[in-house]
Amino acid sequence: MEEQKWPEKYPVEGKRGRKYGTVAAMKVGPMVKAAIGSSVEAQQEDKDIAYTFIECNYDEIIRAMDIVPVWTENYAGICGAKRDAQRFLERAESLNLSRSLCTYALCGLGFDEWREELGEMPPDSPWGGQARPGVMLSSGQILCDPRNKWYQAAQQFQPDVPIYNVAGLFPMYERDVDSHEIEGYYAKYITEDLRGLVKFLEEHFHKKMDWDRLWETIKLADATTDLHVECRELRKAVPTPMDTGDAMNCMVPQAFMMGTQEAYDFYRDLRDELRYKVEHKLGVVEEEKYRLVWAGGLPSWFALSDFNYFWSKGATFPVESTYNEQVYSANELDLPKTDDPLEYMAWRWIRRWTYWYDLARKRPGSEPDVERTINYIEQYDIDGIVMHEAFSCRTWHVGLIWQLNQLRKIYRDVPSLILESDIVDISSYNEADTRARIDAFIDTLEAVKSR
Amino acid sequence: MGYMCALTPVEIITAAGFVPFRIKGDVNEPITKADSQLETIVCPLVRSAFDMTLKGNYDFLDGMVIPHACDSIARSYSTISCSLELPYSHFVHIPHTTKDLSKEFFEAELDTFRKSLGGFAGEEISDESLVRAIDLHNAIKAKVRELYQFRKSDPPLVSGTEVVKVLVAVMGIPAVEASQLLDDVIDEVKKRASAPARKSPRIMVIGAEVDDVAFVKLIEDSGADVVVDSMCVGTRDYFFDVDTAQKPLDSIADYYLRKLNCPRTYREWTGKTYEEDLEARFGHIGGFAKDFNVDGVILYLLKYCDPFGFEVPARMQYIQSLDTPVLYIEDEYSMSTIARLRTRVQAFLETLAK
Amino acid sequence: MTGRYFAGVDIGSTMTKVVIMDQALVASVIGPTGPEHRKLANRVMEEALAKAQLSFDEIDYVVATGYGRINVPFADKQITEISCHARGAIYMVPGARTVIDIGGQDCKGIQVKEGRVIDFVMNDKCAAGTGRFLEVTAEELGVDLEDMGRLSLEAENRVEISSTCTVFAAQEVVARLSEGVPLADIVAGLHWAIATRIYRMVRRLKIEKEVVLTGGGAKNAGLVNALEAKLGFPAVVPTEPLLTGAMGAALLGSDMVMKATESGTSLPRRERRLDEATLFT
Repeated sequence: MEEQKWPEKYPVEGKRGRKYGTVAAMKVGPMVKAAIGSSVEAQQEDKDIAYTFIECNYDEIIRAMDIVPVWTENYAGICGAKRDAQRFLERAESLNLSRSLCTYALCGLGFDEWREELGEMPPDSPWGGQARPGVMLSSGQILCDPRNKWYQAAQQFQPDVPIYNVAGLFPMYERDVDSHEIEGYYAKYITEDLRGLVKFLEEHFHKKMDWDRLWETIKLADATTDLHVECRELRKAVPTPMDTGDAMNCMVPQAFMMGTQEAYDFYRDLRDELRYKVEHKLGVVEEEKYRLVWAGGLPSWFALSDFNYFWSKGATFPVESTYNEQVYSANELDLPKTDDPLEYMAWRWIRRWTYWYDLARKRPGSEPDVERTINYIEQYDIDGIVMHEAFSCRTWHVGLIWQLNQLRKIYRDVPSLILESDIVDISSYNEADTRARIDAFIDTLEAVKSR
Repeated sequence: MGYMCALTPVEIITAAGFVPFRIKGDVNEPITKADSQLETIVCPLVRSAFDMTLKGNYDFLDGMVIPHACDSIARSYSTISCSLELPYSHFVHIPHTTKDLSKEFFEAELDTFRKSLGGFAGEEISDESLVRAIDLHNAIKAKVRELYQFRKSDPPLVSGTEVVKVLVAVMGIPAVEASQLLDDVIDEVKKRASAPARKSPRIMVIGAEVDDVAFVKLIEDSGADVVVDSMCVGTRDYFFDVDTAQKPLDSIADYYLRKLNCPRTYREWTGKTYEEDLEARFGHIGGFAKDFNVDGVILYLLKYCDPFGFEVPARMQYIQSLDTPVLYIEDEYSMSTIARLRTRVQAFLETLAK
Repeated sequence: MTGRYFAGVDIGSTMTKVVIMDQALVASVIGPTGPEHRKLANRVMEEALAKAQLSFDEIDYVVATGYGRINVPFADKQITEISCHARGAIYMVPGARTVIDIGGQDCKGIQVKEGRVIDFVMNDKCAAGTGRFLEVTAEELGVDLEDMGRLSLEAENRVEISSTCTVFAAQEVVARLSEGVPLADIVAGLHWAIATRIYRMVRRLKIEKEVVLTGGGAKNAGLVNALEAKLGFPAVVPTEPLLTGAMGAALLGSDMVMKATESGTSLPRRERRLDEATLFT
């Protein structure tokens, strides 16, 4: 890998509508490329490789056992960002997989089928390709059917690769049941299922889990998350020192590198950079006119340039909900004491996902997602809400309209915009139309501001 | 008590003294009101059902129970329970895997539901009432199986269209009445004289919820007999009993997690080869195809259905391994597609003609 | 079997085709379908009969197919265009194993083996991948539809059209044009886009030679060229690609009559008269 020389001092001049870029964000591309490159090398060297999904509560386990993760959603996102996903999507379709399914999965399945047919990576695979795994780790959770079914579908062309499907359920928000009353059996279930996962990995990869090392990895991960939380808090400043456009890159260590020193160092550096910028009042744009919250939806990986368009209008995103679902400090979660690292992970998981429940319960008509948005609006001084509806993802993109309706009902009318496209499938995207919608939204924000 | 999906533990609802009422959509009614509250990328059947509730069709419901079936249903829970302002709503988590620890979790979760529903009913749901409810629902299942036996003959004594009509009716009435209705239907069918063999193609329909007669009728109007299925409301709901050997809640957990065969539940790989895995997951289809002498299979799915959508290649591989022709259709929940459906179904039947 | 005549009526969404055959083609008529096809199916039939110098009673069996097949009151049987195109393609190209029909408003892929349809795929929901795609974009570009194919072959640097939606693609080509991209390059891009869409659908079948192209799209040299590039080998375009469905229909009628004659059974016939259809026929 080439030697990268990072600017020793910030700020760094921004490009295309931005006043100041985020130095830390610039590191992400090379980091991901390096990770993918080393996973391809790992395959050639016959190392232990697993297909993994993000936010499944097994990151520390993988790292503590030196298993190389191949993040299949991430790889599909890269194909999307490089605008080279179509040929994999088409391949998946030819297998009779419906186009309305998760396009991450279609991309991944198309890629895998091709790789298996050729016996080697498809020609010109982005960044070297997706390495063949020894195991695949699914997770049904509470949402995301693809994460329950995708790898099972992949077994059709790689039947020698076994799957472990680990639970990740947490109590649903109910009016008549307090989640605290039932968390116990949820935690027990997750703890035991994680134990099963460790056993599965031990058996398949012929190695034993070092439990002390697991505890250390967990502590490192927690410390990393704390740094990430600090970064998010720093973005409350006016003008905001970093916005969602960069956060979509800066989430990478949280999502894909949890438990590594690299992730820790990354957020430490990012935190230092943001502190500097806040101190010197260095914002993302020349003149920050509108502060927006990205309140739902994964971004269009091939259209991150839409953020540049927002910046050119003086709009920034100090905060987002996407990829922040796990970013809560363990100290805030009131976790029970335990010697069992898996039990710790289980409780941490449940408490993170139910973080907003208690607050929501206090406000009539509120729900956790709505409550979070209200809190962000107030803490980050927000003028408007933007959401993105990706057609192939029911998991994260259903309930957006309702959230806005509910927000209006129980809080107030905040200008909002829902963009429509997809995460990976570029044929759904119409740049002219998207820009027009953004323009109209900016006009609304301006009108509200000048009242 | 309204509910969606075969995975809802109706025995608990019946035991609490409520009538389980499975809400459905309407293929003839364009979806209008739902769009202002629910995204269009949701399963069209769920959207239609939601649209119906918004239009007041289900105002008589006391509450709604929603199981963790799929993303469309789970994600719509907040929207549905909030917008309808029903006095009661509850979400029942169902684990995705069938491991023992999953079953243990599920038992605890069902107990939470039992307490919640009992609280709303004003009376605890006792084990005895659960046992009674299980027996009642098992009796219905047995009667449906009996009705299906009349479809084995050539030509079948009861048509697919008639069976779907009956099963849809059963979806929305109290268990005791459902039992009576089935008795009456069976009595009538028994009296029918058998006709000479017609040699129309015998079709099996596989799908998720096919709760409208229209599709089955289209197949039969095109000159075939729909003799068996693997769909809701069909064999998926009725071909296994809740056993009475364990404690009632444990039996119920066992039934909905392990016996009920739905793609949303991930079945662990137990065999050695991929073909064995397919057999474990889909063997019931092969069983039906054989018992009912099936000539062709139509795999009928709705757009935006993830659990089934991911399984299509595997299912087709399995069905083809039985040397049975299969047609795969992806449709929307609406009558506007009827002409397109007719062409495909007819073309498929033409390929089956001997 | 001399002296027996069979008719095939193929009412497509854009074009209506009628053929009269004995062992070979005797007469054929091709005309636009229009909104009144139900009432006017008899007119096209009359035209064909006139050309063949036959009367309606001399026709042994009439088979109707296509989108409007249920609206042919004088037909003895309706058979889907899938079975008909397969039968017609085999007749025209005996080694046919894969048939790709590109119509005005739909496209289909049919897998054939030992004279029978094994599997098929259809797209009749979305304009991209059909003649309509070219119609709409040709209009945006101000080019005559008939010239589009020839123009695409003149391209030096084919443009990549990313939209699969016809409406979006039309916007895209206007944008490209205003950027100064040569017309031929854009048109080639459009043909490539259609071919991609068609290939994507047909891939769900097992594609085997000979691949036969039928329908209006098969007459477009640019589209044939693009499809062959996607397939990776040449396809076969019969001399009368528009008539495959109608001929297949007539032939299937003839097959049925022959089979009935051999086995001594009788075929159900419609009480038929060649009148203009009323609301009640």
